[in-house]
Amino acid sequence: MSDIACRELCKTFHQGGETITALDHVSLDIEEGSFVCLFGPSGSGKTTLLNALGGLDTPDSGAITVGGQRLDGLSRGELADLRLHNIGFVFQAYNLITVLTARENVEFIMQVQGVPAGERRALATRVLEEVGLAGLEGRRPGELSGGQQQRVAVARAIATSPALVLADEPTANLDSRSAAQLMDLFVTLNKERGVTFVISTHDARVMGYARRLIGMRDGLIVSDEQQQPHAMDV
Amino acid sequence: MNVTWVLAWRNLWRHRRRTWLTVAAMVFSNILLIFLVSLQLGSYQMMIDGSLAAFTGHIQIQHRDYHEQQHMYQDVPAVVDLATRVRALPGVEAASARAEAFALASSAERSFGILLTGVQPRFEPAVSTFPGKLREGRYLRDGDEQAIVIGAVLAQNLKVAVGDELTFLGSGRDGSFAAGVATVIGIIDSGLEEVDRSMAQVPLGWFQQVFAMGDAGHAVVVRAPSVDQVQATASALRSQPAPTGELVVLDWETLVPGLRQAIQSDMTSAWFTYGVLVVLVAFGVLNTQLMSVLERTREFGVMLALGMSPGRLARLVGIETLLLAGLGLGLGLVGGGLLSWYLSVAGFIYPGVEEMMERFMLGGRIYPEVSAVSMLIGPAAVFVGAMLAALYPALRLFRLRPVAAMQVA
Amino acid sequence: MSLPLAALGTLAWRNLWRNHRRTLIMLAAIAIGVWAMIFMAALMRGMTDQMVRNGLQTLPGELQLHQRDYRRDPSVVNSMEPPAGELLQVLQSAPVAGWAGRVRVPAVISSERGSRSVTLLGIDPEAEQALGSLPEDLFEGRGLEGKGDRGLVIGASLARRLETALGKRVVIMSQDPDNNVAERGARVVGIYRGRLQGDEDRFVYAGRAAVQELLGIGQQISEIAVSGNDYRRVDEWYPRIAAAAGSGLETLTWTELDPFLGSMLAVQDGFTLVFMVVVFLALSFGLVNTLVMAIFERVREIGLMQALGMRPGLILGQIMLESLFLLCLGLVAGNLLAVLTIAPLASGIDISSVAQGMEMMGMSATLYPALHVQDMLMSTAVVIILGLLASLAPAWRASRLDPVAALTRD
Repeated sequence: MSDIACRELCKTFHQGGETITALDHVSLDIEEGSFVCLFGPSGSGKTTLLNALGGLDTPDSGAITVGGQRLDGLSRGELADLRLHNIGFVFQAYNLITVLTARENVEFIMQVQGVPAGERRALATRVLEEVGLAGLEGRRPGELSGGQQQRVAVARAIATSPALVLADEPTANLDSRSAAQLMDLFVTLNKERGVTFVISTHDARVMGYARRLIGMRDGLIVSDEQQQPHAMDV
Repeated sequence: MNVTWVLAWRNLWRHRRRTWLTVAAMVFSNILLIFLVSLQLGSYQMMIDGSLAAFTGHIQIQHRDYHEQQHMYQDVPAVVDLATRVRALPGVEAASARAEAFALASSAERSFGILLTGVQPRFEPAVSTFPGKLREGRYLRDGDEQAIVIGAVLAQNLKVAVGDELTFLGSGRDGSFAAGVATVIGIIDSGLEEVDRSMAQVPLGWFQQVFAMGDAGHAVVVRAPSVDQVQATASALRSQPAPTGELVVLDWETLVPGLRQAIQSDMTSAWFTYGVLVVLVAFGVLNTQLMSVLERTREFGVMLALGMSPGRLARLVGIETLLLAGLGLGLGLVGGGLLSWYLSVAGFIYPGVEEMMERFMLGGRIYPEVSAVSMLIGPAAVFVGAMLAALYPALRLFRLRPVAAMQVA
Repeated sequence: MSLPLAALGTLAWRNLWRNHRRTLIMLAAIAIGVWAMIFMAALMRGMTDQMVRNGLQTLPGELQLHQRDYRRDPSVVNSMEPPAGELLQVLQSAPVAGWAGRVRVPAVISSERGSRSVTLLGIDPEAEQALGSLPEDLFEGRGLEGKGDRGLVIGASLARRLETALGKRVVIMSQDPDNNVAERGARVVGIYRGRLQGDEDRFVYAGRAAVQELLGIGQQISEIAVSGNDYRRVDEWYPRIAAAAGSGLETLTWTELDPFLGSMLAVQDGFTLVFMVVVFLALSFGLVNTLVMAIFERVREIGLMQALGMRPGLILGQIMLESLFLLCLGLVAGNLLAVLTIAPLASGIDISSVAQGMEMMGMSATLYPALHVQDMLMSTAVVIILGLLASLAPAWRASRLDPVAALTRD
């Protein structure tokens, strides 16, 4: 269900009198169960593409289909529902709601989805254990390291079993060890649960994990190749 | 312009919305305060004017015990002459002599107790508004005898109309039986039921005959050019050589003590309202300034590290508050001034309280008084409140330690 | 979509305490505002209550019956027979707590030193007791002893003006139905202090039978005053009495008998509401400011929530909930403060320094603040309704934030 199709996506920004082209007629297909890395320098359009795929940002023109569902024409509320049930987001930083504990952060989305309390608790406990945070459930984000915070974000993203996880520079603020742990986690989830991952990065260590590497520059896709994934050296 | 002031001004606009909301709170309160204070002062003015103009006048010259005891024999001798002399004094706009007696008035069918007043027909209209509220017939004239003007409710109760005769019975100055017959020549409708129920006026000369008063009366009613000048006029009158040692000059506050007190009690509740408004605005400013200080902890830490003294930083916050409060003051004054000025021309109606206003001699419309006092007292309080509120945030700066402050995210 | 209230509630509550200083300042402001609303309402209510009660004791009664023409022509001619039959039955059954038939005529009272115009009341002291209409403070002498009492009870101020005293004789003059002067000498048996000085000058009390005899009107009376002991509920039993009285009599409630008194209640309610709204408006700027700041500080987090799939409605709800918590806490504190400050004043506030001014408004020298649940509820309603309305704008803006812009804000 998480096949992604983009056709002729365009998006421009205006900044300080200059027009910046973030997406320039981008067309792209991503199959379900893929593990894709978008790479390129800052301003190449990676984040814009990622946001567009998640329905956070609306392209000026072009069409996006996620799991057979056209995104254009959906209301803000419908897009929110789509993300709530089908898409997980992991950002570079500030991924968590600061006033909630790790467990509550994971449970929060389920609560909004209406998952019963017992089920929610069990699931939260399980995913937090899965990402290696057993015992830290009661801590608030401020009491967790950057890597731990990112893992809580992943736990939250996968707790609701989304078909697609969009991660925007997830390792940018992490040391190598934490970054490797996070990427291993992504790979495991991709393999065991078939979750589709689209990760934007300019971290070469991360690119090694991908099975498909898409290079971007100035809003254009400049390369698109399959590769044999290899873990980074820690 | 000093660079600190420029910095303070720029800082103010870092959070545009917050600054405007805080200023808006001040402007709102200032406009409200200006409006309320000027309305209040305006209505007091009208209350005093209305009540006194009706009948009492600003000042009365009476026998020293008459106000308390109201006995017929506590009189003012040669009252007409005294009135004439008083009228000629500076600071006296009008003066008229009166005599009063309680009597039982009877028509062909009914009898009621009345307060009969002997007046000087020529001068009475200058000290009282009642003669002007004639509904039927005419008012008294000099030379009238056996003529009476009565209140509308009394006329209705007595079942008499203009042209009918009334008999009144009472006691004369010496306690003797006094009786007279008079023709109703006019009916007055003052709009005040209490007054219209018992008011009756006859010419003073005839009153003196019937009640065996000789040339005496009970009061000389004096009108000063305005309420503000009453005290001056009263002292001028007191300094005149008195014809007898028994006369006193009473101002309206003595004559109608309830009026001043009604105003005072009203003021107490008004001050409560104003106080609450000022305190609430001060809390708003406290919140804004405390937030603005707290969110700049890091920045202030850097400034301290660069060698700025906490005192200078506190001064900066003080100047920011001054600008903030000044903005509120200026805009509030403009808004409040315009509103009050408009209402002082157009008048203001309290809906649904006509009954209450009538009791205090207020007509349908109140005209707010626009003066320096009414304009400035509220906004000044808000300004001071705002400045006081900034004390706590400013004083916090003295506790700031540069290193710790710079580490705050 | 069901609202995940528990989730939003936790979030809103914790967010409220993120910046506890700001929240506490705002809470204090709301509490003071609410306190002022309730305190002012209690003072106002105490004032009106007293004015109405004093007014009703002077009227007296919450309901009066007169001969149809009496009010237009308050003469002894327009007297009525004492109640009988159905009317008597209604008057003697609940909820009527007391009733009295009285003769009320204008009269002139004279001593050898002066005369004054007064209202002569011929009463049955026992019946008046139930109405609370007799002067409470008998300062000299005795009260009337039954309806046949031939003495007079007059006010202290009137006695002073007439230069008369207890035990002295005065002459009372009125008019009989044939318009002859009815005149009788009577002894002053009691001197009272009135609630209001105006009453002292105006009302002279005598036994009803003695006045009836003076006027030659047999058993006739001028008015029947009826009380049910709750002036707010007269309308419930008024129709029954009016029906029993028939068309020959005029049945009027106190609001019609004394429009000034009647308008007091409406004016007070109106004023209280206006005061509450004004206080709230002064508060609302701070409230909106607090919310705007609270939202400003976590724009990024709101972007995150949007990215996680929270509908705009939920974001709006979360902020509204936060505002609601703040308002409720302020209300609790304000109400508590009001109860605590009003309770010690229950024995009355001495305002005798402005007594004569208060008298102009029909009040006496002690003010009893009256804390009514109704006013507490009114302030709660004003604060919650207007508070949520004021919060709507910032909450709406937050829910409409552009997620991408919000997320990239630093």
